[in-house]
Amino acid sequence: MSNEAATHDHHADHKPPFFQRWFCSTNHKDIGTLYLAISMIAALVGGLMSWYIRLELAEPGIQFLDVENNGFQFYNVLVTAHGFIMVFFVVMPALIGGFGNWFVPLMIGAPDMAFPRMNNISFWLLVAGFILLLLSAVIGDGPGTGWTVYPPLSNSDFHPGPSVDFGILSLHVAGASSILGAINLIVTIFNMRAPGMTIHRMPLFVWSILITAFLLLLALPVLAGALTMLLTDRNFGTHFFDAGAGGDPVLWQHLFWFFGHPEVYIIILPAFGIISQVISTFSKKPIFGYLGMAYAMSAIGVVGFVVWAHHMFTVGFDVDTRAYFTVATMVIAVPTGIKIFSWLATMWGGSIKMEVPMLYALAFIFLFVVGGVTGITLANASADLVFHDTYFVVAHFHYVMAIAAILGMFCGFYYWIGKMCGNQYPRGLAKLQFWVFFIGVNVLFFPQHFSGLAGMPRRIPDYPDAYSGWNYVSSVGALITAVGTLLFFVVLWMTLRSKETVAANQWGEGATTLEWTVPSPAPFHTHEELPDMTGKAPAE
Amino acid sequence: MLKRLFALIPAGFTYLLAGQALADVEMRSSQWQMWLQKPMSESAVLVHDLNLGLMILETVIVLFVLGLMVYILIRFNEKNNPVPSKNTHNTMLEVVWTALPILILVVVAVPSLKALYFTDSNPDVEMNIKVNGNQWYWSYSYPDNGDIAFDSIIVPDGELKPGQPRMLSVDNPLVLPANTKIRFLIASNDVIHNFAMPSLAIKVDATPGRVNEVWTEISEVGNYYAMCSELCGVNHGFMPIHIKAVSKEAFAKWVEEAKEKFADNSSSDYPKTVRLAEAVNNAR
Amino acid sequence: MLTTLVAGMVGVSFASVPLYQLFCKVTGYGGTLNTENVVAPADVSERTINVRFDSNISPDLSWRFVPLQRQVTVKLGEQTLAFFEAENTGVTAQTGQATFNVTPFKAAPYFSKIECFCFTEQTLAGGQTVPMPVQFFVDPEIFEDPATKDIGTITLSYTFYPAENDEDDRSKVKVSARVQASHKG
Ligand SMILES: [Cu+2]
Repeated sequence: MSNEAATHDHHADHKPPFFQRWFCSTNHKDIGTLYLAISMIAALVGGLMSWYIRLELAEPGIQFLDVENNGFQFYNVLVTAHGFIMVFFVVMPALIGGFGNWFVPLMIGAPDMAFPRMNNISFWLLVAGFILLLLSAVIGDGPGTGWTVYPPLSNSDFHPGPSVDFGILSLHVAGASSILGAINLIVTIFNMRAPGMTIHRMPLFVWSILITAFLLLLALPVLAGALTMLLTDRNFGTHFFDAGAGGDPVLWQHLFWFFGHPEVYIIILPAFGIISQVISTFSKKPIFGYLGMAYAMSAIGVVGFVVWAHHMFTVGFDVDTRAYFTVATMVIAVPTGIKIFSWLATMWGGSIKMEVPMLYALAFIFLFVVGGVTGITLANASADLVFHDTYFVVAHFHYVMAIAAILGMFCGFYYWIGKMCGNQYPRGLAKLQFWVFFIGVNVLFFPQHFSGLAGMPRRIPDYPDAYSGWNYVSSVGALITAVGTLLFFVVLWMTLRSKETVAANQWGEGATTLEWTVPSPAPFHTHEELPDMTGKAPAE
Repeated sequence: MLKRLFALIPAGFTYLLAGQALADVEMRSSQWQMWLQKPMSESAVLVHDLNLGLMILETVIVLFVLGLMVYILIRFNEKNNPVPSKNTHNTMLEVVWTALPILILVVVAVPSLKALYFTDSNPDVEMNIKVNGNQWYWSYSYPDNGDIAFDSIIVPDGELKPGQPRMLSVDNPLVLPANTKIRFLIASNDVIHNFAMPSLAIKVDATPGRVNEVWTEISEVGNYYAMCSELCGVNHGFMPIHIKAVSKEAFAKWVEEAKEKFADNSSSDYPKTVRLAEAVNNAR
Repeated sequence: MLTTLVAGMVGVSFASVPLYQLFCKVTGYGGTLNTENVVAPADVSERTINVRFDSNISPDLSWRFVPLQRQVTVKLGEQTLAFFEAENTGVTAQTGQATFNVTPFKAAPYFSKIECFCFTEQTLAGGQTVPMPVQFFVDPEIFEDPATKDIGTITLSYTFYPAENDEDDRSKVKVSARVQASHKG
């Protein structure tokens, strides 16, 4: 889309030559495009890993792994890298770096981000982090620790060699990238809104990015601290997590999940924002209960910091702690319910147009509800006595955060691609792509609930024969999902080549936010004269 | 309405536990299984009932939202409703969809916490078992039965005897008396493992330097199978847990035999390395 | 301002290490025991509780380490002496250091040790056997607390690890299948 955007010249635009434009960029749109590009590349890498995993798990026994050649370690490395890549290099770059960069300034009426050069650093740090992560997987035996990196498995006794160190470094760098990005977004949103664009008039997507940026600022440094301790434990003889020398491996789990739980909201909140814009646009109605929606997201963010130990119900907590974390976790269902019902209420009374972004938004709501309700089960410490570390958990979090986030990304893509490149996506093929992908992910992940209920543990390269039925179905689903993903790249290619251009406001009366007031494709520089929002209706 | 919903939940799966089965039970999952394994201890019954209630509730929620979405899409699509309303507030509705979930959660919390506190109770037990996780096998010892100690290693695919389930069978199962309150002390010699048994609602991390305890009372004689439930390295998938529950008399007899059989296990150079390597490398 | 926040959160994560230890010690969290400034209560209750002993040994130490009594029944508030025994079954001297916890964890605040060998380095010459005493009492208030009054048995567990200066021994043991069979309960 980037090259294509370059050919649509705009008379007022002074674009730098190719190298400066894409390697030294300070333009929020170009950097957003770069983020989207790296996310797509990473998605292919992470996706290939998961397809290999599903291929191996299609039948009982070992089909593809080279057992003689440390194949089981390779399997664990795949599981680990798949998790890291999808979280840090696919979803976060696309939703926060990509759409956040592109549309936060456009939506609040700012000419660019507050710190354009820092924006550039954020992006290239992410690239460096991605390269380090790929290196960690191919150097030595690779990190076979799971994305949770629990010591002692991740310490130098059980993972000697540089792989885990590279992994730690990768997360440090990616974390620094995200922290800088978050600071940039917060300062932009606080200081660069157009006149009259008060906090309570910001589009919900901007709200979601603002809350996400705060979560990043609070959660990532804790991960960085914990990773540093692990690094010094591994290399410099400290004993933070070494039970034998007065440390405690459980402390790692506390620190990791203090970051890890907010991280799942970091992933899903921007998707909430996109879904809110899309539902409102295609229902041709302002969002229902705008303030309630904004504060529900804030509440999810705040409560998200005090529920972390529900990931650790089996470590051996005393019962009152588990009771607290059970109840606190269930509380999150309340603001989440507010969001779901407000979306439905937005559609109620609307005049709904079923464009592709709307299909994705509806699919998002459905998948999020399915994944959300199993979260109620998993919130219960007593239920965790059977569910902990089973495929039920795998099914739950893929529904509620992984696939939901990816549907949010597709939703944002179809919603905004016209604004980004000026062309119309092929409607028929896009609809087909939606259905193939939607059916694929459900066939892929729904049976995993059954495997989990029946007791199948996660992160195993082979399983007792009784689990083969649902695993086979799940692998068929992975194949369908793969087709859906490839179709997306066909759609992308056809969109960029398309001769059909779109109007500045592609979606008509429902699209009321500021990005639809600038031409499509959005010129290199926008909002050079600040739009005056004073006295206008709330951005709801 | 809520009351009626929860009335659907059976008071307990006690009928499953009533009376002794004629044959030994075989507690592992079956092909196309879509539900939990049969609960075989009091804690497991509570957890099982809780899960059933939650699943009914969750299905109702999903179907409700789905139904609402379908209705909205038909009733309020462009053709049927060309002019959108501008209604964005309804205080009554907002109060209801905030308060109702809170109410539902309070109702859910009751059986949940009841089950939780029951599993954490401290009844007087009749015997103790020590469980140690190792990469990649379990070792068990019986401090109250003459310190019997042995390792429990997966049976490789090639050496399975008829009737032994693949990936779940071990050379020395953990033999326990049924209908006896047993306390497990769970620890690890290297990385974190997890000692699990779904049909008994046991799932406890084996963490180095931190001993955990849990108790159970197995209600029926038979074979109980599970797998290590915390990623513990290369062969994490190949350290199953096999509990063989026998009658108290049979257990007493087994103890005497086991004292003989495992008498030499106290020496520290017990040649398990070779067997373990074989087990995992020749697995297929 | 935001950078301060980031720096603050990194600080928080490091501060969590001592805070977590302090928290565990004060609350008995994770079965951490009271060891400092322990004074046995003046009155000894007639009620009794069972105390069991459990030992674990890191595979990196060629030691045998067992409790000399499996279980004792003690009066609440009464000071009791119990012994573990460690034997270096190897030929070279090794230094070990023990960690410990009690289960159920919620009993930890009521279990106090007056004297023990934990967290002090113990060097055993090859073949040497030493008794290791533990002196403790259980606070009678354990039966006042609704959360702990049903506890009939407390287990005191020790795990011996090589001490830090024996680090070289530890790092020799690598990912390969390490097998060690003396793990008496
Ligand atoms: Cu394990």
